[in-house]
Amino acid sequence: MSFSFSIQHVFVSYALKTQTFQLLNELELIQGLRNAEESAFKFLVETYQDRIFNTAIGIVQNAADAEDVAQEVFIQVFRSIHHFKAESKLSTWLYRIATTRALDHLRSRKSKKRFGFVQRLFGDSNEPLYELPDFNHPGIALEKKEDAARLFKAVRQLPDNQKIAFTLHKLEDLSYKEVSEVMKTSVAAVESLMHRAKQNLRKILEKDTG
Amino acid sequence: MVIMDKERNNPQDAVHRIEEVLSSLDESKRAAAPDFFYTRLRAKMLARHEGGESGLNKTNSREWMLRPVYIVSALLLVIAINVFVFLRGPNETTTATADNNESVQQSIAAEYSLNDNNNMYDLNQDK
Repeated sequence: MSFSFSIQHVFVSYALKTQTFQLLNELELIQGLRNAEESAFKFLVETYQDRIFNTAIGIVQNAADAEDVAQEVFIQVFRSIHHFKAESKLSTWLYRIATTRALDHLRSRKSKKRFGFVQRLFGDSNEPLYELPDFNHPGIALEKKEDAARLFKAVRQLPDNQKIAFTLHKLEDLSYKEVSEVMKTSVAAVESLMHRAKQNLRKILEKDTG
Repeated sequence: MVIMDKERNNPQDAVHRIEEVLSSLDESKRAAAPDFFYTRLRAKMLARHEGGESGLNKTNSREWMLRPVYIVSALLLVIAINVFVFLRGPNETTTATADNNESVQQSIAAEYSLNDNNNMYDLNQDK
């Protein structure tokens, strides 16, 4: 009995120490970034590059664009680390910047498309205007690729908030609480967004099937 | 084709298919950032810094002029200036110019005493 208690005590202390270690690491990392240390920046990028890239690619649905977005995210973090107040986790802040940048990229792509149409009217641009091809996410198993491509096509038509909530929850596996921290909203609001997103996706998929 | 027909005939199958599509991301793996992501990122940051703009977005000095927002703003500015000039009216400008001309003429006339000299010289008078 006393032995099992002491084992539990060891595990609890270890968990607390690990959390404290991680917290210290993040604070040290932030300080390193503020000091413009290359090693700190490299550590930041290597730790978070996959998460940011995955988030970006889920929204912009193009690997080259997602890389551009991810690069801009880290550049912005480097430039504005002094404004980061550490009220939330660093990862939360990163996700927030990534989703904002990805949506900005989508808007910029749409406005270029519109402007390109006007240029074509005046015979200026030779660029073809075409819809994005079906998107194949690299992390989807082969047997689900077709279904996933249909789903991503439907996600393109969601409103921005629903798109973000759906991408963060489904692709990045963030909990509703984590999504609410990224989106600076309540858990209930995220639940509502997810519910509406799924309803809208069902309607879109039904229309495609019908 | 046959399967689609069946789906149309059996709504439950269609619903089931849609749910399958909706859950197609459930066991997805995170997409990895491309190789040498950090190297390319640093290269981009260094290129911007060398551009002398201290990390801000480096754009070609003329490229920004082609953005639609600037073109539309410039056109609206030109139209606004033209409307302003048009509404101000030509009379004020013409009157101002005429007044100006008149004052110049008067000053020249005064200098050469031309206004007072209305006499017609009679060449035969002295004779």
